[in-house]
Amino acid sequence: MPYWYYDKKDLQNTPSFRDGINNETENRYRKEGARFIIDTGSKMDLGYNTVATGVVYFHRFYMFHSFRTFPRYITACCCLFLAGKVEETPKKCKDIIKVAKSLLTEEKFGSFGEDPKEEVMTLERILLQTIKFDLQVEHPYGYLLKYAKCLKGDKAKLQKMVQMAWTFVNDSLCTTLCLQWEPEVIAVALMFLAGKLSKFEVVDWNGRTPKHNAWWDMFVEDVTMELLEDICHQVLDLYSLQAQPAGAESPPGAPASKPPKNEKKPPSGTPPASASPIAAAKPPVVTPIKNGEPKLEPKPSPRYAFPPFPAPPPPPAGFAAPPPGEPWHVPPPRLPPPPRMSLPLVYAEPPPARFGARVPPPRVPPPPVPPPPLPVSVPPPNYFPPARGPPPPLRPYYPPP
Amino acid sequence: MQGVSAPGGQPPQVISTSSTILNMREKEKYVEDFDFPFCDESSKYEKVAKIGQGTFGEVFKARARNSSKKFVAMKKVLMDNEKEGFPITALREIRILQRLKHENVVNLIEICRTKATLHNKYRSTFYLVFDFCEHDLAGLLSNVNVKFSLGEIKKVMQQLLNGLYYIHSNKILHRDMKAANVLITKNGILKLADFGLARAISVAKSGQANKYTNRVVTLWYRPPELLLGDRNYGPPVDMWGAGCIMAEMWTRSPIMQGPTEQQQLILISQLCGSCTPDVWPGVESLDLYNKMELPKGQKRKVKERLKHYVKDPYGCDLLDKLLQLDPAKRYDADTALNHDFFWTDPMPCDLASMLAQHTQSMFEYLAPPRRPGHLRHHHHVAGAQPKPAQPVQDSGYQDRVF
Repeated sequence: MPYWYYDKKDLQNTPSFRDGINNETENRYRKEGARFIIDTGSKMDLGYNTVATGVVYFHRFYMFHSFRTFPRYITACCCLFLAGKVEETPKKCKDIIKVAKSLLTEEKFGSFGEDPKEEVMTLERILLQTIKFDLQVEHPYGYLLKYAKCLKGDKAKLQKMVQMAWTFVNDSLCTTLCLQWEPEVIAVALMFLAGKLSKFEVVDWNGRTPKHNAWWDMFVEDVTMELLEDICHQVLDLYSLQAQPAGAESPPGAPASKPPKNEKKPPSGTPPASASPIAAAKPPVVTPIKNGEPKLEPKPSPRYAFPPFPAPPPPPAGFAAPPPGEPWHVPPPRLPPPPRMSLPLVYAEPPPARFGARVPPPRVPPPPVPPPPLPVSVPPPNYFPPARGPPPPLRPYYPPP
Repeated sequence: MQGVSAPGGQPPQVISTSSTILNMREKEKYVEDFDFPFCDESSKYEKVAKIGQGTFGEVFKARARNSSKKFVAMKKVLMDNEKEGFPITALREIRILQRLKHENVVNLIEICRTKATLHNKYRSTFYLVFDFCEHDLAGLLSNVNVKFSLGEIKKVMQQLLNGLYYIHSNKILHRDMKAANVLITKNGILKLADFGLARAISVAKSGQANKYTNRVVTLWYRPPELLLGDRNYGPPVDMWGAGCIMAEMWTRSPIMQGPTEQQQLILISQLCGSCTPDVWPGVESLDLYNKMELPKGQKRKVKERLKHYVKDPYGCDLLDKLLQLDPAKRYDADTALNHDFFWTDPMPCDLASMLAQHTQSMFEYLAPPRRPGHLRHHHHVAGAQPKPAQPVQDSGYQDRVF
């Protein structure tokens, strides 16, 4: 079987990059494609496994082809179509296309060509060959539940923590994490993050031995704190990037000449032609759209299909029963947001310059700042300093690097 | 695990036009030229002969063009009439075969493709490539010159049950057990093949029964629970098939060759007795139990009728345990493997020396039609050479209930 994990260097030197698409743009395409699969899948009542499988196919596909060759939304449809069959939740191609059409602007749907169904059929064969028929994909969800079963502590807090981790796993689909780490590692990292943010400190777990420094030592080996933090940051970056302009539509706005290869430009330097104020005002792509408006009332919204997906994760055995009126699988949209200071668990001193290779910042215990009463799923724009947002904003709380 | 250092091969230079999307021709060229790093072209093999018709396509014997000159079986994925793209049955077979690695399960080597060209409208054809097996059991049994000793029959059954034990332990149902899907190499190694109807056993959601399709398994090997409309079945469906195949080792042709589902149930009742709640608690709640006319008052005659063929009493007893009407009472693979049949003299013995006397490949597909079954009841509608109704493999999603 092929090996599907890449290091960061590979992830920068992709077919799209070699085709003149800079990394920022590619990442945005990946995010939009993934989000589109999630939205289409949710609208069709596909389970989280099917959706996640489709997204993984999507990310793998673009390790071999450029976004310029294959526009993202039709590839996304094709990935979801194949994932539906593989995960035994088949949907008819024409139904997927119908939903896709309803979710896309006319312009974006235009990339589907004159006969969208035929396009998807042809693309499916290319997709299958590209992913080497390696159809079986594992996701972090199952591991989250498995790990949660072993943790001891207040059941309600644990449940809250798992729900938050579940949301992070959903959002992680918009990153290339599935091309970097096994689902077990992602599950550990995002559960670690959720634990920090929900103030659930794991002090004891079933199966603990003196060799264990942390609960995850039971499940994964050689996972350093640096690695965990790096993974958490990749997910959290999603929430800080949303203020960026929507940018060019796919395929990349073709400048008269291709951008010089291997030269990274600050994305802001080349505001895409279509980045009008209107485009910028559109809902940010990475925001979990199905979360609805930032409502604070604790009533689960029926539109709250994703995250998590409609199919409820089986509650881990021994889990507290869901509170009445709030099914277990409907995550309370009112999770405490990442407390402003605690993410920066890492940021007691100025963060390293984010443009270069990210040096894992030193680990510092989070300062005890009470979480502001905002749902985590709707992080305020610029909640975290924009990771690569141009121009780098001045951070009032520490001197610019 | 092989590493992928750089993502793929360098794709061919893409000609960029003023438009941003590749135009049709450019994309076709791109697809034609792209060297899919993980999916070889089928031209690396040279077809030698057609040897069968699988669940979703033809099967060919082929030879590697490289120095190994190794023989393989290539199963074409038939996609001509697929409204929904790559067939879900083929996807299932691939996924299941990738998971199953066992001496008694056919080995999937790789999946190959034809080159996408203008000629095929830029749509590749795919082949599943397997290790080649010289014979299938139906082909062997239809050849009167092939004689199995009792020890050899035991070896066949032991390997078959070993394979079933393995796939059932891995939560896979084969759902198309029949002699033609049991392959045997010239070295006497048995391989279960054709997972085109196989599926994973899903854990029934709390209190909710599974809803599998019951339109599976070639009619002559179809167990009574499927004929009565059960949709929450399990490994016992394969064990019934194992029983039918085992009996066939002596009778040399399928023991119950019903032309219709109704007739098949009648044949089963004539051999195994009537399906009643007495011998099969719960049968009354199956969908078709009250809708079908079932033979009443039939006595079980499995041993009585098979003992003329199966002289070995242990063999007769194991057959009786495999051909149980009630799936809950039917032996599972593990229990069957522990049966005295396999642990008494003559012990299971190697097939290689017997097979060495035959230099010709024997496949059901290439063999003349076999005799009608010995066990057919005299008042059963006589017909010409009956054909077993194949399980449904047709037409769209709405027909398939998974």
